[in-house]
Amino acid sequence: MTIQSTTGGAAAETAAPWALSLTDVSVTYPNGTRALKNVSVHIEPGEIVSIVGLSGSGKSTLIRTINGLVPVTSGWVTAGGHDVTRARGRALRELRGHVGMIFQGFNLADRVSVLDNVLVGRFAHTPTIRTVLGLNRAADRELALRALDSVGMLEKVWTRAGALSGGQKQRVAIARALSQEPSVMLADEPVASLDPPTAHAVMNDLARTSSERGLTVLINIHLMDLARQYTQRMIGLRDGELVYDGPAAEATDADFEQIYGRPIQGRDRLGSV
Amino acid sequence: MSRREVAQRHGEVAPGPDEPVPSPGAVEQTTVTSTPASTPALPPKPSRVTATLAAVATGAVVLAATAGLNISWTELGDVPGRVVEYLLLMFADPNWEKLPRALFETWRSISMAWLGAIGCVVVSIPLGMLAASGMGPAWLRVGLRAIFAVIRAVPEVIIALVLLTVTGLTPFTGALALGIAGIGTQSKWVYEAVESAPTGATEAVRAAGGSTAEIARWAIWPAVAPVLMSFALYRCEINIRTSAVLGLVGAGGIGSMLSNYTNYREWDTVGMLLIVVVVITMVFDLISGSIRRRIMEGARVRDVDRTR
Amino acid sequence: MVVALCAFTALTCWPAIGGVEIDLAGLVRNWSNGADKIAQLLRPDLTFLPRTVAPMLETLAMAVAGAAFAAIISIPLTLAAARPSNPNPLTRQLVRFCINVNRAVPDLVFATVLVAMVGVGTLPGFLTLFLFDLGVVVKLVSEAVDSADHPYLEAGTAAGGTQAQINRATVLPQSWPLFANQWLYSLELNVRISAILGIVGAGGIGRLLDERRGFFAYDDVSVIILEILVVVVVIEVISNALRRRLR
Repeated sequence: MTIQSTTGGAAAETAAPWALSLTDVSVTYPNGTRALKNVSVHIEPGEIVSIVGLSGSGKSTLIRTINGLVPVTSGWVTAGGHDVTRARGRALRELRGHVGMIFQGFNLADRVSVLDNVLVGRFAHTPTIRTVLGLNRAADRELALRALDSVGMLEKVWTRAGALSGGQKQRVAIARALSQEPSVMLADEPVASLDPPTAHAVMNDLARTSSERGLTVLINIHLMDLARQYTQRMIGLRDGELVYDGPAAEATDADFEQIYGRPIQGRDRLGSV
Repeated sequence: MSRREVAQRHGEVAPGPDEPVPSPGAVEQTTVTSTPASTPALPPKPSRVTATLAAVATGAVVLAATAGLNISWTELGDVPGRVVEYLLLMFADPNWEKLPRALFETWRSISMAWLGAIGCVVVSIPLGMLAASGMGPAWLRVGLRAIFAVIRAVPEVIIALVLLTVTGLTPFTGALALGIAGIGTQSKWVYEAVESAPTGATEAVRAAGGSTAEIARWAIWPAVAPVLMSFALYRCEINIRTSAVLGLVGAGGIGSMLSNYTNYREWDTVGMLLIVVVVITMVFDLISGSIRRRIMEGARVRDVDRTR
Repeated sequence: MVVALCAFTALTCWPAIGGVEIDLAGLVRNWSNGADKIAQLLRPDLTFLPRTVAPMLETLAMAVAGAAFAAIISIPLTLAAARPSNPNPLTRQLVRFCINVNRAVPDLVFATVLVAMVGVGTLPGFLTLFLFDLGVVVKLVSEAVDSADHPYLEAGTAAGGTQAQINRATVLPQSWPLFANQWLYSLELNVRISAILGIVGAGGIGRLLDERRGFFAYDDVSVIILEILVVVVVIEVISNALRRRLR
């Protein structure tokens, strides 16, 4: 098997990170909920940013506006200079192909093998007819295997995803996102369903693989210590409004209390392991 | 991806308010050269022999079955053409003159179905309850269940057909046949519903010194009544279809009319009758379905009330 | 409510408008005529058994072939009829409507009309079973797909996949047990139905049954019924065993 790469090393090194920019973005859901209120934020290529806030603060909505999973009601979202807000159809899929995403619930197909789950990450770069006929290109398989290797899941490649533990599932999900050769990595509460040691291990994997590839990373997280430890910059959301933006390491407990709108409680920290 | 394709895709991305838009495909450009690189060592693929054998065996059975159909496959080519031709004959200009007669016969079919359903439900509720575990004696339970299983295994139409030849081909015997033929399945539903009913109330009545009959009346009946009503309506839906079928073999109703006009090859009338059958069945399903949903929702609401 | 039900029941018993004439006396009269037929039914003539083998095989062939072809066609139709695999409401409702119409036609009515269209034989039987199974499988599986959770849809969309890619690579393998279950169920139903299709001329054991019934040979009829009973039970046992293995 061969790998398509000019730079010889990991194929991912070729994907240049994207800048992300939200301009005056508001999202109102059909049921009337105002999830985001006039949020403007700019993220430089290669930045690792956490979005902190209580559940219901609009974190999930914000992260989903970047790949167009949630359409914005007003404002502009651009990713790598492309207008996400107006992209439709093939252009939108093409754009999403450059934005990897991992989820709190892993979102794997349980009855499908790990390899086929990771190959989902190649969708945007594969003609539909190939997927439908089940003819995967060797290059795509190679990328998928490489991504699995980088999160240490290569020996599970033939296992059904449903047979894995939570931490293994999230690693496979990271591999799925990495196999896209993304320019941006979005993570929506990636470790909220995991126990503390696994959570740290998965956060490590996520941070390591992303920084190896120099990706722009956006992580939704409700735990203050993880935000401080793994990210450079922190954005705080409360009731859909931007209430904090600054270096993550320097965020004080008072800053968190301001973001949460209440005193810090034990469950706001994962705790050390 | 060629540069032209990239440019085309690029064109579909509407540019932002005031910024130039680079192609999303641009990053890929750099990746497309094949240079050998280290391949991670792969664990061996698990054996799929069993699955392959099962697939081959299934394929063989299906092929054998298809070959055993004695269909001349060369003639199969004309079938779609002929079907289209007949469909045009039937539905291009359905003959609505006989609609009043069709509605009369439809009512007869509905009547058969309805009376059959009532008979079936009235008989199968006590029988099914007796066959539920914990209600009747064991010998009765086993015996009843065996009878239900036999009635279930024989197609309803055959039971009805035999009964009809014995009792005469009239709509009334048709209703009777529908009632008897449905007992197997209906009773099974009843005893399954009774067995899956919550046990709390049963124990309460038993603790208060209630007899088995009293348990059935005061503990089980209130719990399963909505489910049984829903099953009764479902029986009506099934009977609507089966009554049309019984008509085909001579019990009267819309089925008999359809069978006759098919034999006369009066296709415009057959088309009208088919429309009537389909519409009546769908309307009946719709009504029955919405009532069933209401009953089941009502049951759920009451359950919630009880837990308060 | 009760009044309405009683009134409805009364209307169904009113012969002048097409209701059923309840004629218990006639029933008793017919029943005494039928007593000897019953007696004959209870004495199956097992020497007739060899003659039933070929038609029974034909019946099974129709059942298997009908179920198999319906299984293949049911895959794209089910995906088109389920909300998670087809977000387009227009095409989804169109497919659902066609399936509902299909399901509203009773099996033997299909067979009667198809026999008139394509002639007596196994072909109309096969087509009837095919159409019937299509209705059963598409309806039940698409409803099951609708009510199941599909978290991987969001991941597939986020990765830039088309709906067809997502369906093929995730929804389909994920829904495979739902399909397998209904395919086996449709095979079970087919064995029951194909046994009676012959009554309207669509081939199989039903034709023999109808013929013997026409000759008042009730000892032969009972042999056929017993045979159908055995075959139905055997297919159910096989199908249940397969279902357990497929989980």
